[in-house]
Amino acid sequence: MLLVPCPHCGPRNTADLTLVGESESRPDPSATTPQEWRSYLYLEHNPAGWTRETWYCRLGCGRFFVTERHRGQNRFRHPPLGPADESAGPR
Amino acid sequence: MSPLGSGPGSGPGQAPGSGSGTCLRRNDDRVVPMSPSRLPARPGEVIDRERPLTFTWNGGAVTGFAGDTIASALAASGCTVFSRSMKYHRPRGILTADFWDPNTLVQVGDEPNVRGGHRLLEAGMAVSAQNAWPSLRWDAKALTALGGRALSAGFYYKTFMRPRWLWPAYEKVLARFAPGGVIDPASAPRRHDKRYAHPDVVVAGGGPAGLAAAVAAAREGAGVLLVEHEHSLGGHLRWGTKSERSMAAALAGAAEAAGVEILTDATVAGRWEDNWLAVVERDGAGGPERLIKARAKVLVVAAGLIERPYVFAGNDRPGVMLSGGARRLLNLWSVRPGSRAVVWSANAAGDAAAADLEAAGVVVEHVDARTGRTVTAAEGRRGALERVVLSDGTRLEVDLLVTAAGWTAPTSLLNMAGVRPRYDPAAARFFPAEPGTAEAGTVLSTGGISGDGSLDELVGHGEATGRLAAARAATLAHRLRVATAWAAPVDGPEPPEVPDERTPLGRDPHPELYRSSTDGIVDLSEDVGSRDLRHAAAEGFDSVELVKRWTTATMGSAQGKLETVNTVAVLAEATGSTISEVGTTTWRPPFAPVTLGALAGRMFEPLRISSLHDLHVAAGMTPIQAGQWIRPEHYGDPAAEVCNVRANVGIIDVSPLGKLDIRGPDATDLLSLLYVNKWRRLAIGAVRYGVMCAEDGVILDDGVTGRLGEEHYLMSTTSSGSGAMEVWIQNWLQTEHPDWRVRVTPVTDAYTSINVAGPRSRVLLGRLVDDVDLGPEAFKYMQVRRGTVAGVAGCVMWRIGFTGELSYELHVPAGYGPHVWQALLAAGADLGVAPFGLEAQRIMRLEKGHFIVGQDTDALTKAPTAGLEWLIKLDKEDFCGRPELQWALEGEPGDAPDAVPRLVAVQPTDPSYVPPEVCQIVAATPDGKERIIGRITSSRFSPTLERSICLAQVEAVHAGPDTELTIVDITGRRHTATVMLHHAHFDPEGERLRA
Amino acid sequence: MVQVPRSNPRRRPRRGRYPARYSAAALLRRGKAPWPPIWRSTELRDTYDIVVVGGGVHGLATAYYLASNWGITNVAVLDKGYLGGGGSGRNTAIVRSNYLTPDGVAFYDRSVRLYERLAVDLNLNVMFSRRGHLTLAHSDGALRTMRWRAEVNKHQGVDSEVIGPAEIKRLVPALDVSEAPRHPILGALHHPPGGIIRHDAVVWGYARAAAALGVEMHQNTEVLDIDVAGGSGPDGKGPGGQVTGVRTSRGEVSAPVVVNCTAGWASLIAAMAGLRLPISTHPLQAAVTEPVKMFLPAVVVSGSLHVYVSQTDRGELVFGAAVDPLATYDTGGSLAFAEELAGHVLQLMPGLGRMRLLRQWSGLCDMTPDYSPIIGATDVAGFFCDVGWGTYGFKAAPVAGEQLAACIASGETPDLIEPFALNRFAEGRLVGEKGAAAVGH
Repeated sequence: MLLVPCPHCGPRNTADLTLVGESESRPDPSATTPQEWRSYLYLEHNPAGWTRETWYCRLGCGRFFVTERHRGQNRFRHPPLGPADESAGPR
Repeated sequence: MSPLGSGPGSGPGQAPGSGSGTCLRRNDDRVVPMSPSRLPARPGEVIDRERPLTFTWNGGAVTGFAGDTIASALAASGCTVFSRSMKYHRPRGILTADFWDPNTLVQVGDEPNVRGGHRLLEAGMAVSAQNAWPSLRWDAKALTALGGRALSAGFYYKTFMRPRWLWPAYEKVLARFAPGGVIDPASAPRRHDKRYAHPDVVVAGGGPAGLAAAVAAAREGAGVLLVEHEHSLGGHLRWGTKSERSMAAALAGAAEAAGVEILTDATVAGRWEDNWLAVVERDGAGGPERLIKARAKVLVVAAGLIERPYVFAGNDRPGVMLSGGARRLLNLWSVRPGSRAVVWSANAAGDAAAADLEAAGVVVEHVDARTGRTVTAAEGRRGALERVVLSDGTRLEVDLLVTAAGWTAPTSLLNMAGVRPRYDPAAARFFPAEPGTAEAGTVLSTGGISGDGSLDELVGHGEATGRLAAARAATLAHRLRVATAWAAPVDGPEPPEVPDERTPLGRDPHPELYRSSTDGIVDLSEDVGSRDLRHAAAEGFDSVELVKRWTTATMGSAQGKLETVNTVAVLAEATGSTISEVGTTTWRPPFAPVTLGALAGRMFEPLRISSLHDLHVAAGMTPIQAGQWIRPEHYGDPAAEVCNVRANVGIIDVSPLGKLDIRGPDATDLLSLLYVNKWRRLAIGAVRYGVMCAEDGVILDDGVTGRLGEEHYLMSTTSSGSGAMEVWIQNWLQTEHPDWRVRVTPVTDAYTSINVAGPRSRVLLGRLVDDVDLGPEAFKYMQVRRGTVAGVAGCVMWRIGFTGELSYELHVPAGYGPHVWQALLAAGADLGVAPFGLEAQRIMRLEKGHFIVGQDTDALTKAPTAGLEWLIKLDKEDFCGRPELQWALEGEPGDAPDAVPRLVAVQPTDPSYVPPEVCQIVAATPDGKERIIGRITSSRFSPTLERSICLAQVEAVHAGPDTELTIVDITGRRHTATVMLHHAHFDPEGERLRA
Repeated sequence: MVQVPRSNPRRRPRRGRYPARYSAAALLRRGKAPWPPIWRSTELRDTYDIVVVGGGVHGLATAYYLASNWGITNVAVLDKGYLGGGGSGRNTAIVRSNYLTPDGVAFYDRSVRLYERLAVDLNLNVMFSRRGHLTLAHSDGALRTMRWRAEVNKHQGVDSEVIGPAEIKRLVPALDVSEAPRHPILGALHHPPGGIIRHDAVVWGYARAAAALGVEMHQNTEVLDIDVAGGSGPDGKGPGGQVTGVRTSRGEVSAPVVVNCTAGWASLIAAMAGLRLPISTHPLQAAVTEPVKMFLPAVVVSGSLHVYVSQTDRGELVFGAAVDPLATYDTGGSLAFAEELAGHVLQLMPGLGRMRLLRQWSGLCDMTPDYSPIIGATDVAGFFCDVGWGTYGFKAAPVAGEQLAACIASGETPDLIEPFALNRFAEGRLVGEKGAAAVGH
């Protein structure tokens, strides 16, 4: 089981956390178009390489944070990028 | 009568006619007497001759000794045939006399597929042969008529296509070929425990190198877990010379002295990311297995070598044994495997087998494979070996053939760590890496899997590996401490990363011996021959993965440990390529089979109960599981409960309702963001209903939220959605609005929630509350008050009405829940107060037309579908799902608004007919057929209205008031129903709840 | 729309010329002599009418139906590994049609019907074992969904019905239908036409039959890029463009039509054409036990316990679960899967504690937001998709291949796959199959 580098708790078992999804910024809801909004809602980059993603430390600190993971090799970039200040909205 | 005495039709131990002292029956039903072949006591034997154990074999009594395995005990009593092969039903005897022996899988009592070569003997075991089909002679003949031995691998893909109706009958016959024992689904479950371990170093394999590694690592200060597959430590030293045996004992003693945690009869079954290991601890006697989940800092793989069979005509005949099998029988259990033997040897292990057999009085013809002489055939009759034919034409009359053709490195654990094994033709086996490659990272290998050497060299390499493992574990441990520095301060600098400077083990030259000039069986479990593999390659299945799938080679009980390299070699020969080019199949976990019981462990999935649970039980509730909760469905008569609420007053336990305490200057902004409606002007002391949508506009949850103070709200969510809503809100707060000052605390369990509903609820509550004015003008519908109920301070009271009656929802500090509940019942006895359950509440909410998220809505139901246009406020700032809801309300190009479903109230024409929920609603199509246009989402018989009432989703074009719908009952009958103007069937104006 | 040259367009299925037809008589005649190759090996040419990316059951079925139904035989199927090495060989081989939406039911029903006669059509026994399919319900909500599915199924003429615990016990005696378990069995959706099939044989059958009609299969041929001209994206790729060919590990191939029939790599192949897909790739794990004598006569599924199990003719129990929650291309699998699986199986059948897990493996699943596939044309002319098959791709292969072939050859989208077009996401019209497909096998 992969160890996820939670910036607050330290490494934790994957089962303690939830992968929220790819980090992507939320379009301005008052100015968006259906095309843009639904791209945000549904489309994924889904690369077999490094991906910026949001995690939720469900059974630990309860915080959301952003990290980079290689989806092909399933390993994390160390150190973690930190809390989810600049990241995307809920998916 | 089965030729083997026991078939699928007769249970274990019921085989008639196979009395004491008999072995398997042969095809001609001749009973073969057992000839005891146990030798007098020998040094190094592991049996306790003072402790004889009697067990049964196919119903007949047999005696062995403590320390025997099932197979060794049977072999000692002269048994030579242990099973029948899967396809051709050929007799099979001992091959390896260990866990991987494909021929000695047996049924023990109600346990199938017990490894007879590994499982220790116990008194009273009921052991039987399990692959004993066919039990009916007719079936055997039918098969013979179809081609008998001419059945090549994959033949079943080429026939039985026509006639199609006959295929199920063929299938039944094919299924009879299924190998394996009998599982009794009624057998009693056993309790399996699990545990976690956090060792610095795990060593997989307790042979000389593994032991040395464990000792060295422990002496460096590492916490070491040593896992040995067999019943005792020492590996191949155990059946070796006297000095080898004493070396094993010395190493084992040192391991114990160094504080190594030692597990025998245990296996590292798998390795996953960051050295997450599954260690399966078997109970030697067949007790419940235990799973240990170990997070090791460093894994040392010292799994040793597995001896490889040789492929030639008759290589599956009983009496043909691998050198390890013969030596184990002889030296561990003092069983003489034959009286006249050919030992065909390409290595020292084979030479040692020849010497051991000779010393035990066996007449041995030692044939040196290194000179180029090979075995071409093992011949005999009735499952016995009589003659061995060599490549030079020599024919030798013997009853035992021992082969020592080379080794397979069981690299599974290394493969799971990403290592791709490389083939070395000079050494005739796969290795983890090219010679001399340093091992980076936290997975190391040592022992036979890495190379060859003298015992001293193996131990030396093991010790170096252990020290390296300890050093790397120390570095990793330091990094982990740094990563969790919040928990404890970190002392000292990081230990330097230690390079791999071990002196590599050598590689002894070994002839490449895979297949003789004749064809034989490659996979004994699956009955796949070298001819099958060649034919498969000729048919186009030219890669090892395709060949495996077409022929099923390597898919049996040993999962390729005995078969894979021979399969690859035969395929390479057939396709004119090399073993390196063909490569191996992927080794998949687990390394050794694991019982489902051990993997499952005990279930930890508690049900939730409210603080009132015992009171409900005492009141005779009928319970229902609602999500994680056990709740009262009713207390006897839900219709009567409805009538009582409508006429008097009832109380219901609604504690599972999700509750969130929201505080902070930005709390109002948060509510405006989450809900589709407005919250800015909600007065302190007021309550409002709200709906939350996801970003795609689909309804997520609903509930009421009350404003308790300037910056303080209490939010309720649905019971099933409470956990998800908390995460949803945290996500918005942390990722989109980390600057907002607001704190959300889940308080579901902090309150016991009781709804007091009915026209007399105000009177009842008035008797228990004196610090809140309950008067209709002072405490209006959709208001909240805080006060004291039955002497309990700090209660929150909401005047809301899911049931459609005047009602108050009390949120009481959880510990006082039972007190308040009982006080309500006592104080309202004269008012007719009675508890009501979930079912009565569901009836009343349906009478009022309130939808339930997830039942009346689904994963595509956007807010307008549920008739919530009035609630969605586009003239406010951002909120979840806003763009989609705006487009849904305003329409977008290409929309087909008529096809969008609408939630409507429906009443069947026949008031006594209650359409089952999810009945489909259909409409005629122009071509005279019917099309589904919707479904009933909720339905009940209303005791209040004395008629059936429903909610339904139908396409908008059919959703207008007074539209007549056609409902298809589950019986197929059609019923008509009418769409109603209001969702509420009862009191649509809401006069009662505003009373 | 691209004009695909047709050597001999006609609707009547064509029969291929096999090097050797299979039958019991042929088996006896041939005895121990080897059989000719199941498909021909040819050199990779530099131009084809259609290139199919992915030599799994979907790609091969598409190629077969292009050739047999439409006479289009100048087709190459490319695979970076061996035929059937992806999801086709890693699934749990369950076939059923008891879906939730009318569209879904009609689609999968056609698939089951094609499967039922596939052995005859392909002259290779795919061993379809029609043994019935039980989807267990452990809660009122689940039971309601089962009834919903049954009602939609019945309306579409598909045999499904909700049965109670006693009938469940009669069909599968090993199940614990008492009230004791944490998740008691309240009822089940019984679907008699469901069953299991030999998944590899389906791959080989389609490959052999397609080859007999002239389709070429090229293994170990990895597509590295797709050439697109005139598109709105960088390099002329993306919407508005036209496919001109593919670049492979064995050279360039020009073709006006490229079909993405991959699973696990659908996003990566689509990206080569300049398209983003609503797909997230997750591993799906499966496992088998050691064999035991037959005791489980039906396919048993529990959605809320995330488990499906059947017993093969070899006696092994084959298990599957829901996709792993972690999106990754790594197929290393996990211990947690085996633990949860075993726990859930023992919930259903507590007497199986002494059965042993023999082998576990994973495949990759391309999950879409609405648990439904993406089939048909895209905004890049000549680039077709048959992707996003989540955990239900194997059971749909025949109908997907048949309909996609029709879509490519006729230039019109057949009704059966119209609901599954890629543009449904941009238009916000998702398919409501989540409830039935999420963990339904």
